[in-house]
Amino acid sequence: MTAPLFGPARRVFELTLGEMLWARRTAFMALAAGAPILIAILARLSVVNGTAVLTVNGSRIGTQAMFETAVSVLYLRFIVPALGVFYGTSLIADEVEDKTITYLFTRPIARGAIVLGKYLAYLLCVVAVVLPSLALVFLIMVPFQNMGPLFGTLLGDLGILALGLAAYGAVFLCAGVSFKRPLVGGLVFVFGWEPLALVLPGYLRYLTIAHYLQAGATGVASAIAIAAAAVVLSMRTIESREYVLEQ
Amino acid sequence: MIIAAEHLSKWYGHVSGLNDVTVSVPEGITGLLGPNGAGKSTFMKIVTGQLRPSTGSVRVFGEPIWGNPSQYRRLGFCPEQDAFYEHMTGMQWVEALAMLHGMSHDAAETAARHALDAVDLLDVGDRKIGAYSKGMRQRVKLAQAIVHEPQLLILDEPLSGMDPIMRRRTIGLIKDWARAGRSVVVSSHVLHEIEAMTANILLMHNGRVVAEGNVHQIRGLIDAHPHRVSIRAEQPRALAQRLLAGDDVSSVRFDGDAVIVETPRPDSFYARLTGIAASGEAGAVDEVTSPDDNLQAVFSYLVKP
Amino acid sequence: MPVHDQGYRHYTGERTLHGRGWWVIARAGLADRLHERRFLGLLLFAWSLFVVRAVQLYIGQTLARGILFAPSEQTFQLFLEQQRLFVFFITIYAGAGLIASDRQSHALQIYLSKPITRNDYIAGKLLTLAIFLVAVTWVPAMLLLVLQVLFSGSLEFVADHPRLVPAITLASALQVALAVVTMVALSSLSASRRFAAMLYAAIAIFAAAVARVLQASTGHAEWVLLSPENTLLAVNDAIFGAGSDAAVPLPVAIGALAAVFAACIVILERRVRAVDVVA
Repeated sequence: MTAPLFGPARRVFELTLGEMLWARRTAFMALAAGAPILIAILARLSVVNGTAVLTVNGSRIGTQAMFETAVSVLYLRFIVPALGVFYGTSLIADEVEDKTITYLFTRPIARGAIVLGKYLAYLLCVVAVVLPSLALVFLIMVPFQNMGPLFGTLLGDLGILALGLAAYGAVFLCAGVSFKRPLVGGLVFVFGWEPLALVLPGYLRYLTIAHYLQAGATGVASAIAIAAAAVVLSMRTIESREYVLEQ
Repeated sequence: MIIAAEHLSKWYGHVSGLNDVTVSVPEGITGLLGPNGAGKSTFMKIVTGQLRPSTGSVRVFGEPIWGNPSQYRRLGFCPEQDAFYEHMTGMQWVEALAMLHGMSHDAAETAARHALDAVDLLDVGDRKIGAYSKGMRQRVKLAQAIVHEPQLLILDEPLSGMDPIMRRRTIGLIKDWARAGRSVVVSSHVLHEIEAMTANILLMHNGRVVAEGNVHQIRGLIDAHPHRVSIRAEQPRALAQRLLAGDDVSSVRFDGDAVIVETPRPDSFYARLTGIAASGEAGAVDEVTSPDDNLQAVFSYLVKP
Repeated sequence: MPVHDQGYRHYTGERTLHGRGWWVIARAGLADRLHERRFLGLLLFAWSLFVVRAVQLYIGQTLARGILFAPSEQTFQLFLEQQRLFVFFITIYAGAGLIASDRQSHALQIYLSKPITRNDYIAGKLLTLAIFLVAVTWVPAMLLLVLQVLFSGSLEFVADHPRLVPAITLASALQVALAVVTMVALSSLSASRRFAAMLYAAIAIFAAAVARVLQASTGHAEWVLLSPENTLLAVNDAIFGAGSDAAVPLPVAIGALAAVFAACIVILERRVRAVDVVA
């Protein structure tokens, strides 16, 4: 790839951002990120009313613990992987299916720049929707007096979510560039393989993305490396791949 | 030569799309002609860098096109498929694609206006493409192909879906672009449309180039098929009698007041016919036409199964 | 006369339904999918649990002699619930494009310009997916029952559990109907089969997760109604007489499922039309 990259990628980024912001599926994205806020409100109300029954090891837990559960269960195990699968696989695959990829491929921009621009637009959109959602959930669920001490934890959680969105999005972008029907395989990976591999003993957990998001600093570095490698691989794959559009 | 293909072949699995095509496309307008499945779209997709040749090579402006995006500045492609970002207006879409050519926002907007005006869509440029009629969709596709003023236009069935008035206008537009110094490769299987645009054709069938060049020259080379000449005359039977006297007529039949002659040697025949007409010995000759010296005849002769 | 009257002319001819249009559409849909090796592989893989269960039944009847793997009604209920994973993937694979692909290729107009009704078209699409799902739910479940009879050498098990056959049939029918109607309705919402698949996955997975979290954090079991899948599980408990301690009464659960069906039918009625009005 010797053609300029970042200038053309920026133009594709702007085009994709405009599309994503007004597409129906982005409203769906906002809905998915809004559900935890609804849960947070209901959970907080139930705690206030004294009807909350969530227990861990027999002890009733408060909203702070519920928040931490929401991050690890709802966000990291559902929302982030689901958004990564849904949007990552569709970035290029949708253009191919709709046959609009022709217009992008016949512009004087490297194909890799198209992939990079679309990925960055996806990342900005999902981060702009999911991170504020988590911040709001934090504000609702964590008692006011604990917000200061836990602010660092919130920042860490926000970083992990952003990293998760980047990693899942990149891996499934790669799947979308390489395969014809990446969505089903992506769903199998995220909701079939990952939950299984994480509970099985041995090294299988290393073949998941979720493991690295929960594994501290080394995990973070690995997740960044996975995301970067997946994006670079996607850029290389699209440069050499032919897309025969169905007539 | 604008496009030079050498032993170009393309396979889709076991299906051959192009089969050992060696052809050079000159400047000007070239009509790419052939029945469905001939390989026209495959050839265009290879020339525009969307598909990679299985074997052989293709050069556009002297450079390879696959993986060479900088060449796309000089190319404008109007694909056959009806595919758009439907939620965008015509103006937004053309402008966005112009910006992908590196134009600034203002320059892209100006260029988009010019392009839409050229295809008569400026007044509906603010309407969503999803609400366009088929002809309007075809025109907005043309607009995105010309917005960056390319040197070479590749148009795949550009007149499809247009009404007769718009077809005529678009043919005129294509000829204007050629006169302005651009080269155009335009595909169609509607023969009279190609004929209206250019005499320079590339005829394809079953993935091969069957003939290339000037349609009249090609016709002249088809020695196996006698020329047909239709002569409307005052005394058709007397004329037929005179014509049959020569050895350059293989058959004669009558069609109303016209005599339809088949001749293997058109040059000799025309010379004799001129003499007969001038002498008046078979009455007045009102009209001489050759239904053969056209693209339909060339197409039929060369593409017959 | 050369210039014809351009005024509106009412159709005065006869309308008859020719043959069974719904079957023609279903047959075309089935043939389409059955040509794909990947899909055939998925269907085959969906029978893997059946093989495991069949082996267990055999062991239970021969080697373990009722000590291990003794079948009960809950064996079959559990089997159907475990098949949900395959139902999910087959529904997405085969169902997402049923109407979405027709919308994308503008084939809907062509279908509805033929002498078939909208109901024929919708029924044909529903039947296409239903056949595949029945093949991985009711068929293997009934076959397991047949195997149990064959391995035991008597009809005693069936006689002892007289409601098992209707329970399997009803539970499969509900499971298949819910998946089919939901997927086909979502497929009619868009011209993108990927978007339809995303919506279905969101409803199936995300709604279930949200419902569980809300149940746990608020203590109200009624949140299960948010998830059609979880509601179906509660209904299945009643069908198989599992004695569930769910706080949601059965009529309410059935009402929730009926509401989902009704919503899907309304979507299909509004979206399956020959003409789309674009603003």
